[in-house]
Amino acid sequence: MNGRTNGAGARFRALRQTSIFNIFLILLGMCVILTVAVGNKFLSVTNIMSVVRQFSFYAIMATGMLLVIVTGGIDLSVGSVFAFSGIISCMAITKWDVPVFPSVLLGMLAGAAFGYVNGTLITRLKLPPFIATLGTMSIARGLSYGITGGYPIGSLPDSFKFIGLGSVVVIPTPIVLMVILALLFSFFLRKTVTGRWVYAIGGNEEAARISGVRVDRTKRLVYALCGLMAAIAGIATAARLGVGQSTAGIGYEMDAIAAVIIGGASVNGGVGTVMGPVLGAAIMGVLRNGLVLLNVSAYWQQAVLGVVIVVAVSIDKMRSDRRK
Amino acid sequence: MKRVLTVLLAALMLLGFASTAIAEDIEIAVVPKSLDNAIFLDAKSAAEKKGAELGVTIYWEGSTTSDAAQQVNVIESLIERQVDGILISCNDADALKDVIDRAVDAGIVVACFDSDSPQSKRSFYCGTDNYAIGKLSAEFMMEYLPEGGKVAILTGVLGAPNLEMRITGFKETLAAAASPIEVLPVQTGEDDVQKSVEVVSQYTAANPDLAGWFFDGGWPYFADPDALPEVKLFMENGGRIVSIDTCEPMLQFVGLNMVDILIGQNYPAMGSIGVETLYKLIVGEEVDLGDESHYIDTGYEVVDLSNYEEVWASKEPW
Repeated sequence: MNGRTNGAGARFRALRQTSIFNIFLILLGMCVILTVAVGNKFLSVTNIMSVVRQFSFYAIMATGMLLVIVTGGIDLSVGSVFAFSGIISCMAITKWDVPVFPSVLLGMLAGAAFGYVNGTLITRLKLPPFIATLGTMSIARGLSYGITGGYPIGSLPDSFKFIGLGSVVVIPTPIVLMVILALLFSFFLRKTVTGRWVYAIGGNEEAARISGVRVDRTKRLVYALCGLMAAIAGIATAARLGVGQSTAGIGYEMDAIAAVIIGGASVNGGVGTVMGPVLGAAIMGVLRNGLVLLNVSAYWQQAVLGVVIVVAVSIDKMRSDRRK
Repeated sequence: MKRVLTVLLAALMLLGFASTAIAEDIEIAVVPKSLDNAIFLDAKSAAEKKGAELGVTIYWEGSTTSDAAQQVNVIESLIERQVDGILISCNDADALKDVIDRAVDAGIVVACFDSDSPQSKRSFYCGTDNYAIGKLSAEFMMEYLPEGGKVAILTGVLGAPNLEMRITGFKETLAAAASPIEVLPVQTGEDDVQKSVEVVSQYTAANPDLAGWFFDGGWPYFADPDALPEVKLFMENGGRIVSIDTCEPMLQFVGLNMVDILIGQNYPAMGSIGVETLYKLIVGEEVDLGDESHYIDTGYEVVDLSNYEEVWASKEPW
């Protein structure tokens, strides 16, 4: 019993030393401040569910982005792939008479394919990730406009809308989706060989290559997974709104990158855990919600959002430096 | 006599061929604020229809996002291509002024629709008086809430001149009438449907004493009705909503009692009248452009339960 207590205590002490603990404390602090400031408005089940559902889409996309950033790369195409995949699924259902399940798979495949193309451009043609994904960002957005002519695609069946609007027991489906995907990706990064290779590549790509890590293949897989996650988020959002739009996800790549960085990952690669982007997305979601609940004018919200993000990352950085 | 008639007939035929050839050679570029804004699709469709009617080639070109600098690049490329006419909705009146003037100096007839650049050398502006629709929205809100109450405003991209004019018209009208309505701080959905839906849902749920919403653009109504349960509940509990825009997908919300009134800019008229007037100026026909501001008011339409089915039937399905 005593040994078990000591074990738990040691684990807690170890947890306190992690960046994730700092980020969790920041999130908790924000929640406490909001509870004091607006009380039940923030803590109501409706509001909490709404906030978590809102940030779950970003968290899913940011989890894919985490993998890319851990390898030392970047993917600017996720916002456009988000829109493109949603459109492919909606088009398949409404225009091509494909049943819902295969339509969803088709959208996911489209996202993964875009990611794989990114990985191929980066590993085979040696394009810098920034340039390669900037190009595919434009291609995916252009295809979305071209296919739809700019018109939104509505009249979607309830079975599709369930992905974004439904609930499993009482938990909204996107939240369930986020949790399952976070667990799967956490397992992938921590427990599989390929997952460890992802960190090795980000830590020192040349050293990893010499050690026998299949760098190019792993990178292609990572970009494909990032595209897949953007696709899942895009499809879930189309289902949540009941409409697929070519304009969806504009600027979301920056939200995904911000969530990953707030979540403690390093832009230099090699560092980051799946809990990070989830907490990062949660901080941004709670912050946006807080600004709305506190009745802050929209003209000031962007500035406040920026300040809080800078302060949150600075606190985390200072605490990490002090530990070192 | 016979010879004279033959010559006259030949001359008329030649003239006919020539005018057809001239019309077919005319190229007009219609430039919306951005390609990512579905609100312009009715203007696109009407402009293309009018172009086909007049035998004019219509190009629908623009920047991918609402950005004045990108729009300047688009106009510069149109100057290089030497199109005959440009019909543009300006992202920024001042930022577009110089490039519009350069296009005019290069012999291109330029006009504005939806959003003007009044200091430029453009020939005319056709669009809606944004201040007037803000004012009208306030008048409806005062009618719905004679006892006053808290009213929230949802806007799109902050600083967009047309949206700011609507907000100003709304607020100034309430103030001038000394209305007991309290206007809450402006909220934004950044022209993004998902963000608009989330902001409206969270704000409505968090403010049970909210009496009304003024959407200065109809972004939430691009979503499916099922995506807006908070709005449905808000209206069922006596809340009132006045929203701008009357795009085809939005009209169903009137029938579902999820909005009291929609006030729409007449985008089809902007596309159609804009192209037709531009064409007349290009071929040298006389056009009455009104007073020195050269403003053609395309008016607005008001949709409520009494006429939404009729308006819906008149719209092209999206």
